Amino acid sequence: MEAEVIKAELVLPTHMSFKRIQMYEKYPKGQSKVRWKQLKQILQAEICQNYSPDEPNYVNIDSPPSMQPCKRICDITGFEAPYHDPRTNLRYANTDVFKLVRSLPNEYVQRYLALRKAAVVLR
Amino acid sequence: MPFISKIQRQTDYNRFPPSTPIVIDNGASYFRIGWAGETEPRVIFRNIVQRPRHKSTGETVTIVGDHDPALLKYFDCTRSGPRSAFDSNVVFQFEIMEYILDFAFDRLGATGSRIDHPILITECVCNPVHSRSKMAELLFETYGARSVAFGVDAVFSYKYNQLHGICEKDGLAICPGFTTTHVIPFVDGEPVYKGCCRTNIGGYHITDYLKQLLSLKYPHHMARFTWEKVEDLKMEHCYIAPDYALEAQLFQKGGKEAEDKTRCWQLPWVQLPTEEPPSEEEIARKAAIRERQGQRLREMAEAKRSSRINELENQLHELEFLLQQLGQVQKEDILSFLSETGYASKQEIELTLTKVTQSLRKAKGESKPEQAENEEKADSCTSDKYPLINVPDNMLTSEQLKEKKRQIFLKTTSEGRQRAKQKRVEEELERVRKTQQDEERRLENPQLYLEQMHTKYKELCEKVELRKRLKTNGGHTNGSNSGGVGRGERLNAAQRERMRLLTTAAFDRGKGEDTFGAKDEDWQLYKLMGKDNDDDDDEADEDEAELVRVSSRLQEIDPTFVPKPEPTASQPATTEVPHVRPLTNEDFQIVLGVERFRCPEILFHPNLVGIDQVGLDEMTGVSIRRLPSKDKALENRLTSSVFMTGGCSLFPGINERLEAGIRMLRPCGSPIKVARALDPVLDAWRGASLYAANTRFHQQTFSRSDYYEKGEDWLRRYQVRYTL
Repeated sequence: MEAEVIKAELVLPTHMSFKRIQMYEKYPKGQSKVRWKQLKQILQAEICQNYSPDEPNYVNIDSPPSMQPCKRICDITGFEAPYHDPRTNLRYANTDVFKLVRSLPNEYVQRYLALRKAAVVLR
Repeated sequence: MPFISKIQRQTDYNRFPPSTPIVIDNGASYFRIGWAGETEPRVIFRNIVQRPRHKSTGETVTIVGDHDPALLKYFDCTRSGPRSAFDSNVVFQFEIMEYILDFAFDRLGATGSRIDHPILITECVCNPVHSRSKMAELLFETYGARSVAFGVDAVFSYKYNQLHGICEKDGLAICPGFTTTHVIPFVDGEPVYKGCCRTNIGGYHITDYLKQLLSLKYPHHMARFTWEKVEDLKMEHCYIAPDYALEAQLFQKGGKEAEDKTRCWQLPWVQLPTEEPPSEEEIARKAAIRERQGQRLREMAEAKRSSRINELENQLHELEFLLQQLGQVQKEDILSFLSETGYASKQEIELTLTKVTQSLRKAKGESKPEQAENEEKADSCTSDKYPLINVPDNMLTSEQLKEKKRQIFLKTTSEGRQRAKQKRVEEELERVRKTQQDEERRLENPQLYLEQMHTKYKELCEKVELRKRLKTNGGHTNGSNSGGVGRGERLNAAQRERMRLLTTAAFDRGKGEDTFGAKDEDWQLYKLMGKDNDDDDDEADEDEAELVRVSSRLQEIDPTFVPKPEPTASQPATTEVPHVRPLTNEDFQIVLGVERFRCPEILFHPNLVGIDQVGLDEMTGVSIRRLPSKDKALENRLTSSVFMTGGCSLFPGINERLEAGIRMLRPCGSPIKVARALDPVLDAWRGASLYAANTRFHQQTFSRSDYYEKGEDWLRRYQVRYTL
């Protein structure tokens, strides 16, 4: 290791005196990695517990969808967007933006759509 | 910048008795650890782990938190980026969590065989029991913690500010954090989780949105927009618009106010030295060099030629001499004489002689005319040359028949050549005649003639160009952008039609009765499908030739005429590269206009980034509705003490916007007061530190034996009392 790296103590030591079980004991090298439950799986397990619905839990404190009318803004400029291009599905504010929208390559169109999770996802 | 890391190792760990609790604010973006009762956390770092490979030794190392990026040059970080233990705001990856805790305790100066202190660690609201139990297990089993308590960061922040008179004992805590935003109602100084709500949007989403927008807007500077840089931009320049629509209109109209609100980030840029056109001298010098080189090549070729001629002449003389000698040699000595020279017979020598003479002639550059003469000579005596042609077959032997066939073949080919020559001559005559006619017409009325030529040139140009366009991108006349992608872009109209026919033929199966072939026209289909070539290629060539002729003619008679540069592939040398605009400093400017308030706007309208949940202002309404008791007085008390904490509440203008939003939801005349935490980032830790310093704190903690005796259901219900 380079001197300045050691001086900054950049690298975490593998042995810690204050630990009862060291990292290398818990997760030995070469052993298959522990598969941690993703949040989705954790929540699935929570739901399966059948707690009373009155009790607050991680799932039911989620906010509901908005009651206000959905705001539509131009995907490119952020201005208010009265128009919608049926070919690309992008929203646009005026003719100048429309010209730009039509000149965009498909990849960029999809990236703009992905910003509001409206892109075509191929699985 | 509100977030500053502190990672110096502390030296006074042993000064604290085992009863002093360690306080940890385990936020999704930053990790803070320190001692109970102190006002500042001792160690602060980004809650991330990197596991790069050391470049020189090749070993995989663990790097926790954010360090001087210059030091990372010794590591290969391409394999794995920074990783977080969080999924949304819940800890799920406890291997990474362990690295982070290792680093935190290490920097706190921990020694000894275990962490023999009570630990207060924050978690999210309604943390799933799985995550909570894993965290408790980690702290007890691996670190040997004396006891553990879990609390919610936003609540600690609220309690801390309540102490400082920022908010009341009844109120609403709004906490826009890194990945989620919570609203927690407080009644009598205790959080009511029943009335709590969470929207999955936070600072992470804002930074990501800004990053994506900027890299879409400036694709050339994509590499500049690192996560850290964009985070800085966000914190420095983003603000919440009082009214998004009005603010956007302001920018749409442009003008002074919009200009004042626009921020510009100048990237480092150096003016490239402009290339001066080469001077006259330079050009002359280069031409001279070229000329010299050409001269040398010519000389070399000449020398080669003369040496070859010399060689051939010598050979010729030798052969002639040989033949002479052969004539003098006795008949019986011929064979022995020949064996010495290397030739088998006299014929062979003669053959070589003719060959050498021919090559010599060629080398001297006089072969052609003579050959032509030869041909003509040969033509004059056809009957002599092909004696067998007119003799009937039955009078000939098989040998002679073969000979006759050969003669017929020779005759037809030579006749064909003759005819072609005739044609060439005729064409030449025709051309001369045409040019003469042309000239006459021109002399008759030069003005009219010139005009005609010009129109003809234009027409031809258009025709050729149109054909080229058709060839490259089919029927689309707007060649620049058709929006479509795929095969259509690559095939011309004829090829596309052919593909269509093929596919329809391939899929047209078993639809009713097959009547194909009943009509003769049906078979035409195969002709269309059969070949993939362009039928009109000949025509195109003709047009192009005509175009060249006309333009050269025009160049002759009209000094002002300049032919259009031909963008064909056949003349790449003449096509000029389009002049590239020199880059200026403006090409290296990142302009932040609408983005400044567009990105934080997603806190109030999460559907702008496709999250279908209520925004910050509506969340308060949802939260109040969720409260079990419908008490007007309580509701008024709640809204008159709206409290904001968390990193995202640092945006300028968020107070006013939130107040306006809540006013719209509440009945007319409701008291509304919005206050921001003293320090939205660190108050959670300070509140927790104060809480842990209380003498009754130990009643709220649980030990290892409690954890194993009471079981999971108890842990799920476990909740500290925040008012001690």
